[in-house]
Amino acid sequence: MRFAITMFSLLAIASIIGTVLKQNEPYNNYIIKFGQFWFDIFEKLGMFNVYQAFWFLLILVFLIVSTSLCISRNTPKILKDYKGFQDRIREKSLLSFKHSYQFPVKKFSVKKTISFLKSHNYKVKYKPVEGNGDLIVAKKGDLQKFGYIFTHLAIVIISIGGLLDGNLVFKVQELIGAKQIQLIDQPLSKISLKGRMSEDNLSYRASILLSEGDTKTAAILRAKEGYLVQEIPFSITLKNFNIKHYSTGQPKSFESELLVKDKKTGETINKTISVNKPLTYKGVTIYQAAFEDGGSQLDLLVWDLNSSQPSFKMNSQIFKNNKLTFENQNLTLEFKDFRKFNILEVDENKEKKPKPTNVGPNFLYKVRNESGQAKEYQTYQLPMLIDGKYFFMSGMRNSPQEEFKYLKIPADENLSIEGFMVLKSLLNNPKKVQSAINKGIKTSAFTTSGKKEAFKLGAENIIGAFVGGGYNSVIDAMDLNIPDQASVADKEKAIKTYINIIYLVSQELVRDYQFKNKNDIVFPANDAPRFIQDALTAYSDSFFYGVPLYLELKEFNEVQASGLQLTKSPGQFWVYLGSILLVLGIFCMIYIQEIRLWIFRKKGSNKLIVSLATNRDRIDFDQYAIEFKDKIKKII
Amino acid sequence: MLRNIKDKFMNYSFGLLLACLTIIAISKFNNFMDNYELIILISSAITFTWMGNVWPNFRKLFIYTFLLSFISIYFYKGSLEEIELNFFLKYFLSSQSAIMWMTALYPLSLLTYWIYLFSKQDFYGNLATKITWIATMMGFVGLLVRWYESYLIGIDVGHIPVSNLYEVFVLFCLITSLLYLHYEEKLAIKKLGAFVLIIITAAVGFILWYTFEKGADEIQPLVPALQSYWMKIHVPANFIGYGAFAMAAMISVAYLLKDKGIIGSYLPELNVLDEMTYKAISIGFIFFTIATILGAVWAAEAWGGYWSWDPKETWALIVWLNYAAWLHLRLIKGLRGTMLAWWSLAGLLITTFAFLGVNLFLSGLHSYGEL
Repeated sequence: MRFAITMFSLLAIASIIGTVLKQNEPYNNYIIKFGQFWFDIFEKLGMFNVYQAFWFLLILVFLIVSTSLCISRNTPKILKDYKGFQDRIREKSLLSFKHSYQFPVKKFSVKKTISFLKSHNYKVKYKPVEGNGDLIVAKKGDLQKFGYIFTHLAIVIISIGGLLDGNLVFKVQELIGAKQIQLIDQPLSKISLKGRMSEDNLSYRASILLSEGDTKTAAILRAKEGYLVQEIPFSITLKNFNIKHYSTGQPKSFESELLVKDKKTGETINKTISVNKPLTYKGVTIYQAAFEDGGSQLDLLVWDLNSSQPSFKMNSQIFKNNKLTFENQNLTLEFKDFRKFNILEVDENKEKKPKPTNVGPNFLYKVRNESGQAKEYQTYQLPMLIDGKYFFMSGMRNSPQEEFKYLKIPADENLSIEGFMVLKSLLNNPKKVQSAINKGIKTSAFTTSGKKEAFKLGAENIIGAFVGGGYNSVIDAMDLNIPDQASVADKEKAIKTYINIIYLVSQELVRDYQFKNKNDIVFPANDAPRFIQDALTAYSDSFFYGVPLYLELKEFNEVQASGLQLTKSPGQFWVYLGSILLVLGIFCMIYIQEIRLWIFRKKGSNKLIVSLATNRDRIDFDQYAIEFKDKIKKII
Repeated sequence: MLRNIKDKFMNYSFGLLLACLTIIAISKFNNFMDNYELIILISSAITFTWMGNVWPNFRKLFIYTFLLSFISIYFYKGSLEEIELNFFLKYFLSSQSAIMWMTALYPLSLLTYWIYLFSKQDFYGNLATKITWIATMMGFVGLLVRWYESYLIGIDVGHIPVSNLYEVFVLFCLITSLLYLHYEEKLAIKKLGAFVLIIITAAVGFILWYTFEKGADEIQPLVPALQSYWMKIHVPANFIGYGAFAMAAMISVAYLLKDKGIIGSYLPELNVLDEMTYKAISIGFIFFTIATILGAVWAAEAWGGYWSWDPKETWALIVWLNYAAWLHLRLIKGLRGTMLAWWSLAGLLITTFAFLGVNLFLSGLHSYGEL
């Protein structure tokens, strides 16, 4: 028994390790975390998959063996106790019990006493002791001891069930070299027999990723760093995948419409599964486990943020790459993901608490240059309401560990990105800029032509710096022009003036454009100053956007993929059976009180001895014994 | 004799009341329930009838709770805006206010229990018990009305309020205090409220922090994995376990104090304390076992396997192993006394980690109550 308790403790400690150390992560994460030296040691000890480690299974086996031994040792005794009565007890020992009472009797009716005891659920045995007197032995609560058998048997059954569902079969096959974990991604049909588990595999938890319209005939088993192919007795087709949403936008259900076809008989089943509503077929249960994009098609418009080049159309698909020559660079656009619904907590208004809202579709892509370096982008199709204004949001990051840094482009009068694009084209058009500056000078208070000329030159330089590199390069240019001894206050004043000049020129550009395109109002009439300021900020920020390549999502055709899990679990029945037994056993052990009772009258004596005993000392028993003795006294 | 007849009358009429309520619920809301939920409804009605009959004070609690909840629902007039407009809702009966009353009353009852402990005047003891009952009632009103409120947000959003950390903390307070009140009455000892209410007050502290710092009181719709009738069984059963273990630990504190002779004259005898700890742990253990098994059955349905070694599952196993060992030593080896008291106190640490620590420090499938 001490051994069993030790096993229990070991099991607990091993389990704790498994919760503290994240299990089944990619091995690279572990190497980064622990260094190569500890990684090798931990890997050998099976720390990254504790619950399937060799030693963990060994603990389970020991637990089963030692608990079984406990059962086999104690069961005969318990059964004997159950069948028999302790009727070979001496008067002396009867009197030594804590609850032993004597009282005088005149006429002792054995029959009446027995029926009284029976009415109180006692099992009774009457034994006339030859030449000695009458002994009635009674007992109840026998089942308490069965609680011991039930609970211990339950632990054995549950452990066996657990082992049945473990991957012991594969472990043995791997050990003798019959099977091998596959490390290289390749089409499932090309994988050799060594990397395939047959349909008859006793138990597994495999997964299948299906795009809408796809059919698959085998599943994937994740194992350590690689995978195995799990053959299944049927094929699965995903006809449709559906996400339903609450009115608040959060997902309400994930549903896959499946067509399952038996490989042998050709029998087909149509069934929609969802979370909490799996389908069981041929002993395999199919669960809704995950979802992702299945290769959606995107119609894009490509913009150059830092030139007056017009945009052009591009078609792309998720999981496909597009090649592009942009500003003399050969770029590869790798499209990674598309999401139709995105629930974000956005500060729509400063007064209100942020609420989760659906902000519409976004897509994720990488831009890789010739030297192989990539930046990752996440762009939302629709403008988001932030602090009362609409912005197009596009995030950029250099590596997946970083957070996205967002470029906020203000939406124009028509909630489109066009206004901004018009403005950036105008700024990149030197002729337009020049005429805007000239117009500004005409209406200005400059008196001499020398001053006018100086201002014109200055303004052209400032705009030129801004167009070429944003506010930062304006400040850099200023540092070159302004003498070092100028005070901080002077510098700040100069910056303010510069920013104002950029703003005024932009305002003039906008005004001029709007005057010439009266039918096509893009700039907000009431809110122009705010729009221009935001647009200039966005333009300036675009120099931190990596490549000044903006993809505007025009149309999309969503194709979804559903992640299914396929489980074969023959141990489940045994685990459930063991569980029922366990509850039953605990109930017996805790709530059934075993009581033994003796009533003895010595021949010729007018004294009756009543003794009660229990195997567990409890306060309520003391009370019970006193009350029950009084009841016996009454009926006699 | 007369008393007996009155008791019988009360028993039957309570049963009848619950039968009527059940029938009304079924006839009105049949379309919203699947067969399992129907079974759960009927079995809860039977369970509550039984509990009310063996424990008349529970019956009282039940009746007052439902009465207040119905009054509250009446005031809502089917609109959440009434919370701000209606005086009674705003200050007493809206779910948020009722729970706030609960959070105010539990610390008050703790204080009263301590006054009672040192003054030894029954007046304070009775007062403390009453306050605990009222706090519990307000808590239940709060949860029931919250259940109703969730349906006002959206008919598809509505769900039983045991789906996130905020809600289950309220549930924890209620179940622990009910268990305590039951033992206080049954064993006719009143002196332990001063200890048991400590853990409840601590939970109240957490609720308040969680509400005001994190705004956790907001009702959120259920994620797909939680949309199952199993939630109605698994979560409450688990919290009977947690509540009982917490109570056992607090009684063990009293045991250890008495054992060391600190405020010993104010506490029940050692063997009584020992017995109470055992009773609490055994009832907790049986419910915890059932809850874990039901959790496994649910997991088999939702996650594709009855056991995934998810941190919450694993810690549930550790809690289970801990108390199994405790019971084993007491029942089979006959161990008693200080060592078991310390152990049951340590058990609270393990239980708390399983209940809260896992959500704080570890991630996994059970990430419904993230902090």
